[in-house]
Amino acid sequence: MKNKLHIVVGIVALMAAQFVSAQEKDLRKVVFTGAARGLYYGDKMGQEVEDSITIPRMNSGHTLVDLGMNIRPNKNTEIQGMVRVRNDYGGFWGSGVSFDIRQLYIKGVAGGVVRYQLGDINYKLSPYTLSNTQQEIITQGPVVFQQQTRLMNYDNFYAADSSWRQQGAAAEFGLQFSKFVKELQFHTVATRVRTTDFGSINDRLFAGYNVNLVQSNFLEIGMNHVTLFDIEGTSRNLSTFHNPVTTGTLLLKKDFSNWKMKVNVEAGTSKTYYEKFEGSPETNGKIFDAKWMGANNSKGLSVEAGWKYVSSDFRSPGAQTKRVNYNYQPSSFGRITNDQVVRNLTAFDLMRESNAYNRQLSSNLMLIQPKYDNITPYGTATPNRQGVTVNARYISPKQLFEVSATQLMLQETRGEGTLIPRKFMRSEVKAVAHLSKRFGSKDKLFDVSVRFRNDNTSREPEGQVPAVDLSTQILSVGMEYEFWDNWDLMLGIQQIQFKGFDQTSIRDNFSEIYNFKEYQTDGKEFMQAAGVRYRFSDKSSLSVNLSNFKNTDAFDATQNYSVRQFMLLYQMNF
Amino acid sequence: MKKSIYFLLFASLLYTSCKVDDEFEGPSLVEIYGDFNVVNGLDITNRNVNFSTGESTTFTAAFSKSVDWEIEVKGLQSGAIKRFEGFSNEIDVTNATWNGTTTDLPMFRAEDCAVQLSIIGVADTLRDTLTVVGSKVYEGFVAADFENGWNSGWNTYVQSGANMSFAVQTNNNAAQGGRYYEMAGAVSWDWLIGLVNMPGSAYGSTYYPLTSNPSNLYFNTMLYKPAGIDNGLVLFQIKEDDNEDGMYSAGSEDMYSIQVSLTATGWAKISQRYDNIPTLVNGAASGPIGNGLHEPNKIIEVSVLFLANPTSGYSKTWLDYMIFTEGSALEP
Repeated sequence: MKNKLHIVVGIVALMAAQFVSAQEKDLRKVVFTGAARGLYYGDKMGQEVEDSITIPRMNSGHTLVDLGMNIRPNKNTEIQGMVRVRNDYGGFWGSGVSFDIRQLYIKGVAGGVVRYQLGDINYKLSPYTLSNTQQEIITQGPVVFQQQTRLMNYDNFYAADSSWRQQGAAAEFGLQFSKFVKELQFHTVATRVRTTDFGSINDRLFAGYNVNLVQSNFLEIGMNHVTLFDIEGTSRNLSTFHNPVTTGTLLLKKDFSNWKMKVNVEAGTSKTYYEKFEGSPETNGKIFDAKWMGANNSKGLSVEAGWKYVSSDFRSPGAQTKRVNYNYQPSSFGRITNDQVVRNLTAFDLMRESNAYNRQLSSNLMLIQPKYDNITPYGTATPNRQGVTVNARYISPKQLFEVSATQLMLQETRGEGTLIPRKFMRSEVKAVAHLSKRFGSKDKLFDVSVRFRNDNTSREPEGQVPAVDLSTQILSVGMEYEFWDNWDLMLGIQQIQFKGFDQTSIRDNFSEIYNFKEYQTDGKEFMQAAGVRYRFSDKSSLSVNLSNFKNTDAFDATQNYSVRQFMLLYQMNF
Repeated sequence: MKKSIYFLLFASLLYTSCKVDDEFEGPSLVEIYGDFNVVNGLDITNRNVNFSTGESTTFTAAFSKSVDWEIEVKGLQSGAIKRFEGFSNEIDVTNATWNGTTTDLPMFRAEDCAVQLSIIGVADTLRDTLTVVGSKVYEGFVAADFENGWNSGWNTYVQSGANMSFAVQTNNNAAQGGRYYEMAGAVSWDWLIGLVNMPGSAYGSTYYPLTSNPSNLYFNTMLYKPAGIDNGLVLFQIKEDDNEDGMYSAGSEDMYSIQVSLTATGWAKISQRYDNIPTLVNGAASGPIGNGLHEPNKIIEVSVLFLANPTSGYSKTWLDYMIFTEGSALEP
């Protein structure tokens, strides 16, 4: 038996090796890290309707320093603490100044085997169990706009890897084998999502694990399990919420001549229920997602095609929670016109208002904005979707330009209010040209980007039920040009145009549809900006931007306005 | 090229072969967008309902589509109102069964009632009538409903101010039944206008006949604020005989108080769980006077004080249906 199997040859901490090696490179025990920023906005509003009440000019901004201390008391332990000192413009002598703990964690390797982290952790699992889907519209715009979007993401701990910032504990370790199986990896996480009020609200935790078996370079099999649940006894409320999600994953990899092929499959179930809550529903959902990917690096070509099914009852808070809170009311020019009506949240606000964003997992499906995204509002795990997705990407020789195209052809798995399902079609093309490789000096920056997306939602009419036909077009063009050493000129335009009709669902506290609301829209959001940036180094820069935002709404004249913005931004990471 | 065509064909095949559930989510859009008409008109299952024996009655109707509807039952003698609201295409036992409770006080009594069903967006109103043969009877210890007049075991102190009236009134204005207690007058030198003491002896024993569990007991009563009278304060003092010597010793035994200042004209229900009733000193929450335990089985007396700022002039209120209930607050 011993000779036949002879399995375990060693236990290693998967990430520990990296961690330790990094420490070996930098033997300093205390390292200061952080970032600093000075941001100033000068805004001027112009309206088409008469308004003698709203103050048309508004100045705002802040300076802040994130000061972090990274302490390594020994080679296996790292402690990170970071405070944020922020002073809003106009605040002096303590007024408008805030001090916050921005980050606090301890991580290390226990016994040279288990890598752990306590405190603030960034964590992600699969797209259907724990994944922080990017916000709509603004994440892939021109750089002149993304300067501000990146600040939002930084302030809200939205990382590029789609992880969620949570407070809790995580541990990881792995086993390596000599025969049959290469490696077995274990990941586990537990975080607190909500704290009790000792009255009617229970403590709510999110916990999960991932086991991944790497059989060979050809085959990987995994299992993910996460659950969001209330802890009974932490308040006087006896009813508790539970939402476990379990998925299995399969990854096949094979090379055929110059093509690297991959097949990636994820399938699983979810269950949502309450204990000791009379009359509460129990829902069971399921998903199946299969993708084939092929990449030919020598030709710079990669293609991905997949089919997915996400049932209407599939609920996975870790994967479906939205970044944007559409109940948020803009703080800048929050009320306009002589009637002081609420100004609707726009892409312009999403670009610069940190407080419009959500940092915590939500047990319910959050509010969506159909004009921005009616197809994948909850990301990959958007419930009630099935169909085909296709992606293709081409990088030219010498990387002069990159082109990518995406096509989504989806429909509902279950009709809403009718047996006829909505159909969703998305076509998107993105292109970036690195013109410095062709024109001018190769070490200078000269990029031009273009992006176009067309979304359409449709449903056939039935009797007196009108047809659904809602479309959105997004066009953005941007340029970055280094006209002098480290001096960049940035230009960008972005237009979002939407028109059509849909019946949006109104959901109860259990996320079940109990009514519909007619949604009619016809409008346009247009942004244009020009800016100059000086890069002191890779980690610090100073930018001056001038931009103009124009909002048009055919159904609501109060929402027809423009905002001219002057922005001064200094940022530094250290 | 050939491969691309095959791929697109395969993708299209997958897209068109997607299976859709044979049931839909949410209410039917066909119903919502359809023409409205009344399939079954308003009907009442029991037109002579006796709530005092535990009977109930159900209103029924059916429509061609889901609508926002409201049923209002109005007591033709008391003026009491009971409302049912919903969004559905059917009104039935699940959403419109009446057991004699009230939405807007006063409480229903034995009387004829008018019933009307209105639907938002529809001009016509469906009407009917029913008769309440006996009003709902509530479980609990009734300390005062004034239906039998003045309890000889109670005693009062009334200041010698102007237009003083501390008396049981008999007319159609009562919150429950046909009688209530009026407290009114103007006293220019003192906050106190008058008070009523209701000792346990008035009910045949030293203590109120109540449970010892304060978290399962509720104090309930009804007060009326006349239109234009905004200065009245009603203070309920509940005195416990902590040492069980048969008398209340002020300053050394617990007295829990509820102070009420009504803001809306008309009858209002006051309910509070017994263990949440605080100790008040000059209207402000304070530490306990006695052992600090809420012991309803040791209540020896309840006093009702009617107060007003002496500079504010005449004030008036009505009191009715003081009842201790177990398990839940009174749902009139």
